[in-house]
Amino acid sequence: MSSTNPKEDRFNLELRVYLVQYLVLAVFIILGIRFYVLQVTRHEDYQARAENNRIRDIPIPAPRGAILDRQERVLVDNSSAFNVVVTPEDISNKEDTVNALVQNLNVDRGEVLVALNDPLRPKSQPILVKQNATRADKQWVSAHELEHPEITIEEQPQRIYKYGKLASHLLGYIGQVSPKQLDMQSFKDAGYKAGDIIGQGGLEAVYDRVLRGKDGMRRVIVDSRGVPKAELEKIDPIKGQDLIITLDLDLQKVAEEQFYSKNETGAAVAINPQNGELLAMVSVPSFDPNVFARNVVSSENRREVNAIVNDPKHPLYNKAIQGTYPTGSTWKIMMATAALEEGVITLKSSKIVCGGGIQVGNRFVHCGKNHGAPDIHLAIVHSCDGYFYRLGLKMGVDMIHDWVTRFGMGQRTGVDLPAEVRGIIPSREWKKRVNPRDPVWKDFDTVLASIGQGSVAVPPMQLLRAESGIVMGGVFHTPHFFKVAKETSLRPISYYEDKPTELKLSDVTFKTVDYGMWGVVNEGGTAGGVGFPREINAGGKTGTAQVIAKEKVRGKEHKDHSWFISFAPMHTDQKPEIGVVCITENGGWGASASAPKVKMIEAAYFSKKLGRPILPELVALNSQPTTTASATAAVPPPTTAAERKRKPVTQ
Amino acid sequence: MVDISQRKLKDVDWVLLFAPIALTAFGCIGINSSAPDISFVKKQIISLGIGLVIAIVIMFTDYRKIVVNIAPFFYGAVLILLALVLVAGTQINGNKAWLRIAGFSLQPSEFAKAATILMLARHLSNVRQTTLSIKDTIIMGAIALPPVILVYAEHDTGTTLTFGAILATLYFLAGMRKLFLAIGAVAVVVGLIGVYPHLKKYQQERINVIIHPEEADPKGYGYQTIQSVIAVGSGGVMGKGIGHGTQGKLGFLPFAWTDFIAAVIAEETGLVGVGLMMVLYLLLIWRLIAVAKASRERAGALLVMGFVGLIAFHILCNLGMVVAMMPIMGIPLPLMSYGGTAVMAMFIGVGLALSVRMRRFVN
Repeated sequence: MSSTNPKEDRFNLELRVYLVQYLVLAVFIILGIRFYVLQVTRHEDYQARAENNRIRDIPIPAPRGAILDRQERVLVDNSSAFNVVVTPEDISNKEDTVNALVQNLNVDRGEVLVALNDPLRPKSQPILVKQNATRADKQWVSAHELEHPEITIEEQPQRIYKYGKLASHLLGYIGQVSPKQLDMQSFKDAGYKAGDIIGQGGLEAVYDRVLRGKDGMRRVIVDSRGVPKAELEKIDPIKGQDLIITLDLDLQKVAEEQFYSKNETGAAVAINPQNGELLAMVSVPSFDPNVFARNVVSSENRREVNAIVNDPKHPLYNKAIQGTYPTGSTWKIMMATAALEEGVITLKSSKIVCGGGIQVGNRFVHCGKNHGAPDIHLAIVHSCDGYFYRLGLKMGVDMIHDWVTRFGMGQRTGVDLPAEVRGIIPSREWKKRVNPRDPVWKDFDTVLASIGQGSVAVPPMQLLRAESGIVMGGVFHTPHFFKVAKETSLRPISYYEDKPTELKLSDVTFKTVDYGMWGVVNEGGTAGGVGFPREINAGGKTGTAQVIAKEKVRGKEHKDHSWFISFAPMHTDQKPEIGVVCITENGGWGASASAPKVKMIEAAYFSKKLGRPILPELVALNSQPTTTASATAAVPPPTTAAERKRKPVTQ
Repeated sequence: MVDISQRKLKDVDWVLLFAPIALTAFGCIGINSSAPDISFVKKQIISLGIGLVIAIVIMFTDYRKIVVNIAPFFYGAVLILLALVLVAGTQINGNKAWLRIAGFSLQPSEFAKAATILMLARHLSNVRQTTLSIKDTIIMGAIALPPVILVYAEHDTGTTLTFGAILATLYFLAGMRKLFLAIGAVAVVVGLIGVYPHLKKYQQERINVIIHPEEADPKGYGYQTIQSVIAVGSGGVMGKGIGHGTQGKLGFLPFAWTDFIAAVIAEETGLVGVGLMMVLYLLLIWRLIAVAKASRERAGALLVMGFVGLIAFHILCNLGMVVAMMPIMGIPLPLMSYGGTAVMAMFIGVGLALSVRMRRFVN
């Protein structure tokens, strides 16, 4: 090779090659240091992040405990359904996902978008878009798992309310925990987290912590698209405790049928007054809790939910504990008890003039008819308003208020259901507060309060608890549905603990009231014509809750509400074992609409007790005029209405 | 032209031949762990075989004849292929750089690098003076310009920059004046800063990820870089074991078998594997430099050094990207990243170097 100055040339080139060589070495040293920092110094941090990337904990929701009736017949349980779900976390292109769902799985576009765009919905919470996936759906999903890893078929527990609308108010319903609930301390303490499905009404809500189990978990390795590749470990969920409630399914069916067969609305509650166990609870109209349990993103489900929520008849409303009505004459039992205990009247001198009514100031308040001057027994039997007007004036509003309050009126009964209301029991103080234009309590107010009209407004459950306590001689049990929570691997078995409150009533008082109520049914009293089977020795009290005049236009809509409260057996040496309260809205006079319903419930109770079948006719025949025949089908032997009428009225 | 004899066989630099084979094989381990199926490794091994044949043929050929007689045709053919890519190319991941011929994807831009080095060496072999004249500087630029324009038209920014690296290496070694070098260095820095506002949004973001890693969007532009660093860091000293990486295998690192092959290797074989890889690269570069130093002739020395510049630049950019010191530019790791054309182009360089070495005593 020839060059002008080869030596210099070579030297120059060699020097520059060395420079390149050192530059390369420097680059390698810098890169090496960087690798060392990442792989040694910061290794643990990146190790954790890599694990975080690939390991995902997929919760396995624990099935809720079942709800069983007192004979352990299943009322609410779970089945599993194969559902199409979308996990928002794994969506790479929202528009693609929505299109795929709409075009191939027939999902409602608007509903999916609402759910996907809901800022309060956690991204890891799968959205249920289609229930009970068909075979075609399953095939489509598995064929597209690479394109759409966010769309999967999951086997999910599905709450099943076996009897649909039956007992829906007490059973309640489930739904997603709301953001508002999550802000509440009690919900935080219970460990609820966003997206949890919890009890939102009835026993489902009150005993949520009993019914809910412990979620399990599947720890899986996922790829970058979230597709599970392998399972590392699995913790099985633990089912919640099965709840046995005091409800009697047969009785509940009979009770509900009483309303549906006549297309009437109202409420009824059956209780065992000896321990507060609730045997039946009806509120009509009702709803199907399965609608809420579906929790599916579809316009159809939304329609179903809205139909219930926006129904002007408020089917979600449990009239037994949330509906308030004037008690009408059923109130007189408490009046009589209080008057006897206070000595305002005594058994030997209890006669008060009826006079067909009373003149209060410039107004005359009528009684149904002129009863002459009945004693306390006849006053109860014939529901003499004139007697109680005068008795009320003798007692005074303060004494009345004091006593009914002792019986628990105007307070929550403590029944194990949510959102029970207190109702209104008027008093001087109350009137001053709510009626500033006419704040002074007047005799006229006392007269109305004496027969449970005017401003008295209480839920049926409150009346039932109060008068159950009276017929039990002053032992007041808290009405309840909880009987037993069965054992699980997580929690031991637990039973209801009864803590009755006692208000000692004198024997005379108890016997007088007991006999009076018996007379209402069995001595040709206000419920004499209803045809209660003689053998069950039922006692009761009718009531008519006046619908306020300004609302009272005409027609059935504004007829008075019909009350009947009854216990059986009464006036025997046994303690009553069933108590039933019933209000038929716009049913008219007490004995006409509600007493027959109560009769059927009690007849069903005793038929069952005697081991006789509860005939379907018992339910159906009630609407027919020959009521006695139907009742006697259940309870022997027959006693005709005529026979009862012939019996002399004992005073 | 091909001349095989006993004396020449004794003169083969076996280390120079072994190092690239080892690197390609090492790369295959990473490809096997991260590519969607086995066909990727198979294709890579076939390319290695073809590359070896090319290298051996070139080794037994006098490089001077290649430089003088074959380089212009090679260069011309490559330019035609590059133009063809623009017309009938296949687009993969945003770059239109592939030609599909009989079921094989050919990436002409990889050959273009080798062809440009050959043509630059060819021109410099005629240059006699120690310092590079302005005229020669311009001619060299003119040689590099056509492939640069065509590659840039393919939206392949990374490869375009590679030509700059080759040119810079050869300018420097060919004796460019220190003043010009300084001016050039300043021009590059100013140019890089000046060009930033005119870059596309994604290019700016990729640079921002490196400058402000804490502000990077882990699900957006920062994703690949962050996942790559996680892969490297989680490998630790010993690695997770071959085939037991999670970042590459489970797809957290997109296209791990091409640009992020080093991250897969780092994850599965740890700092030990990374060290081995760097030692092999240093060995390769050191032997190439040794060949250049031993060459008695400018053309041979500069030819080999052109490849050194090319390889070193690729390693700097690629490993820098894998450890989040450099933005993502789409520059593969020589010999290790999946890509048949790149492997073959590298073995052209190796073959040329071996040929230069064999003829170091010949005048």
